[in-house]
Amino acid sequence: MRLTAVDENAARIGLKCGQGLTEARAICPSLLVIEEDQAADRRFLEALADWCDRYTPLVALEGSDGLFLDITGSSHLFGGEQPLLDEMSARLLAMGLEAHAAISPSPGLSSALARFGGKPIVEAHEAEDVLAPLPLSALRIEASTIQALAKVGLKQIGDLLDAPRAPLVRRFGAVLLLRLDQALGRDEEAISPRLPVAPLSAERRLAEPIQAQDHILSLARQLADGLAPSLEARGAGGRLFELVLFRVDGQVFRLKAGASTPLRDKERIARLFAERLQAVHDDLDAGFGFEILRLNVLRHEPFDARQGDFEDNDRRQQSLAEFVDQVSARLGADCLQTYQLRESHIPERAVVPVAAIEHLMVRKPMQEAAPLHRTVERPLRLFTHPEPLEAYAAEVPDGPPVRFRWRRLNHKVSRAEGPERIATEWWLDAVEDEEGKPKKVDRTRDYFRLECETGERFWVYREGLYDQTPNPRWYMHGIFA
Amino acid sequence: MARAVLAQETVFALRETIAKLEGKAVPSMAAARQDAYPAEERAHRLSLGVEALDEALEGGLPLEGITEIRSQGFRDAGASSGFALALSGLMQERGATGPAPFLWIADRMSAMEAGSPYPLGLRQFGLDIARFLVARPDRLEDALWLAEAALASGIFGTTILEIRGNPKAFGLTESRRLHLRAKAAGRPLLLLRHAGEEEASSALFRFLLEPFPARARLLPDGSMLGGSIGHSVFRLTLEKSRNPAPLSFLLEWNPHDRQFRDLSSAEQPLLREDRPAHSGRSLSKAGDRQDIAPLLGAVLAFDRAS
Repeated sequence: MRLTAVDENAARIGLKCGQGLTEARAICPSLLVIEEDQAADRRFLEALADWCDRYTPLVALEGSDGLFLDITGSSHLFGGEQPLLDEMSARLLAMGLEAHAAISPSPGLSSALARFGGKPIVEAHEAEDVLAPLPLSALRIEASTIQALAKVGLKQIGDLLDAPRAPLVRRFGAVLLLRLDQALGRDEEAISPRLPVAPLSAERRLAEPIQAQDHILSLARQLADGLAPSLEARGAGGRLFELVLFRVDGQVFRLKAGASTPLRDKERIARLFAERLQAVHDDLDAGFGFEILRLNVLRHEPFDARQGDFEDNDRRQQSLAEFVDQVSARLGADCLQTYQLRESHIPERAVVPVAAIEHLMVRKPMQEAAPLHRTVERPLRLFTHPEPLEAYAAEVPDGPPVRFRWRRLNHKVSRAEGPERIATEWWLDAVEDEEGKPKKVDRTRDYFRLECETGERFWVYREGLYDQTPNPRWYMHGIFA
Repeated sequence: MARAVLAQETVFALRETIAKLEGKAVPSMAAARQDAYPAEERAHRLSLGVEALDEALEGGLPLEGITEIRSQGFRDAGASSGFALALSGLMQERGATGPAPFLWIADRMSAMEAGSPYPLGLRQFGLDIARFLVARPDRLEDALWLAEAALASGIFGTTILEIRGNPKAFGLTESRRLHLRAKAAGRPLLLLRHAGEEEASSALFRFLLEPFPARARLLPDGSMLGGSIGHSVFRLTLEKSRNPAPLSFLLEWNPHDRQFRDLSSAEQPLLREDRPAHSGRSLSKAGDRQDIAPLLGAVLAFDRAS
């Protein structure tokens, strides 16, 4: 076991990363050791990245202990680069974190400066000067390459700057010079932000943190009001909104709420979040309050402005959409479902449940396929998974059962209609054997409508034909009124 | 003397309170009488088309408020769901404002025990499924909230709330709350209780549903096709109403005409006597194979001469 990280006190008494645990204990017997939990470290870094959202929406993770922030165009909001750096350092220090930060034109240079010291804010023309005295490990290259370079006497980045490029590439690979060029800004390096940037967003920073739900909602309403002009300029309405709440102690909450029609109205947007807040009530711990609120529009769609007519059709449509939004925001989008019909003989495939919020109010409803077989009867209630039943004394080859046992109850069939034979959809259900040839599996269903002596009506089927399957099984698939 | 008058006053006051609780117009004490129900009351009722049943329901099914439909066990789920859906179909048929959306609030356990509503079957049962919504809440509290929100929005022609057994969380208070909400919105709520006991609730009427063997399919000449299963038949017991004794009916639901027929009274003629001389096609269209070649020319159906 080895030490993977040490704190300030441990470093002061001479412990280092990579040291054996026994050796460290010999130096300091009262050492407090905590086992490394990489997943927890990762979660912490991601939470910190969430917190950094307050400075810019473009935040990327670097390695296991670094963050890249693309502050292009956002530093002026904090009064310039130096005030931004100061404010961030002060806040992180207040949260109990020791952080090193640097601002420079390229991610590679920032990383080198933050990790190995130097000027915190570097302009493009100073890049070579500040990079020259730094060790080679600042370039984020492999340890073996660093060792090989050290053997030939190249220890600082300055040693590489003047060296001829071609022999270096031949001997140490292209990555070395790529990293160098990236650090100097001669080659481009893209950071990959964790979250997509919202097309539209509005935020409010508060001097006094708020806790009450009503205050959050009234601010959300104001933010939605602020978004309306930009949505109007695009001729769009939002379908998916996100309310980001920054708590004073650095915790960030994200609440998402969808709408079934494109929305601009601030009241309806606020109502979505009212339901959402009700639903997450216990999980949303306001603590000492929220200091920043941001409303993002994650997805927007063309908004067709409609003129109301004298009949109430439009309003009814509207209130159905409102009901769907309300339920989906509170109980989740999967709670409320509607259906689409598909062209299939297999009963469970002829009807596809879809979330109402996605499909109820689509601008051009998809042409629904007419289900096949309009003349044969279908049950009122269908089992999601057909239930096996024991059929006694069924007529061979294609007759209904005379008696059957289902859920530990015996039923005596008095009348039966059928069979309705439904063959497998081989273009979907083809089974291949080991050699890749289609395997012959008999899944033909013979459906029967049965009425029992007590009056219940069932829909049962036999899977497989008697001459192809030795012991065909029977299933209960639905019940009639 | 004065005391007697005072007592009478009190009785009148109490009667008025009762009338108010029952949602009747206060000044018309006549409304409390069985024989006459005012016209405005009849407007909020849905006639089931069966005279004896409408009589027992004082004009029909109330279109505002709760109606409870109960079954004794899950093996009767088909009959109870069928009756609830038949009522919804009837409401869609008689609804003044075209096809309104229609909401089914499902219970997860009931879906496992008796299956989920199947839209194609619903359509064959005479329902318009263009705006059919199914809600699948996880908890009973969510289901009750959903029912209340749906009633308050006032957009659903029918709301069916499916409940299993007699849960504690759905007692008299909750049903009263839903009933008042439904009354305020002027919308019906059908409470479908599977495998439940009789329980005091705010529902105006409670039906007990049991399955009953169907009649055979009807051939065009009026005879029956032996061995076939025709329209669904329910055995309906009106458990809670103003009638002193529970009433029992046998009802057949015709999904094509969207109407009930009473089978319990004397056997009615299956076809009208004055039907046309030509009964139309002699064979029904084949569902699963090619149709026969159509005849040339057209056959006109004149009314009978005498």
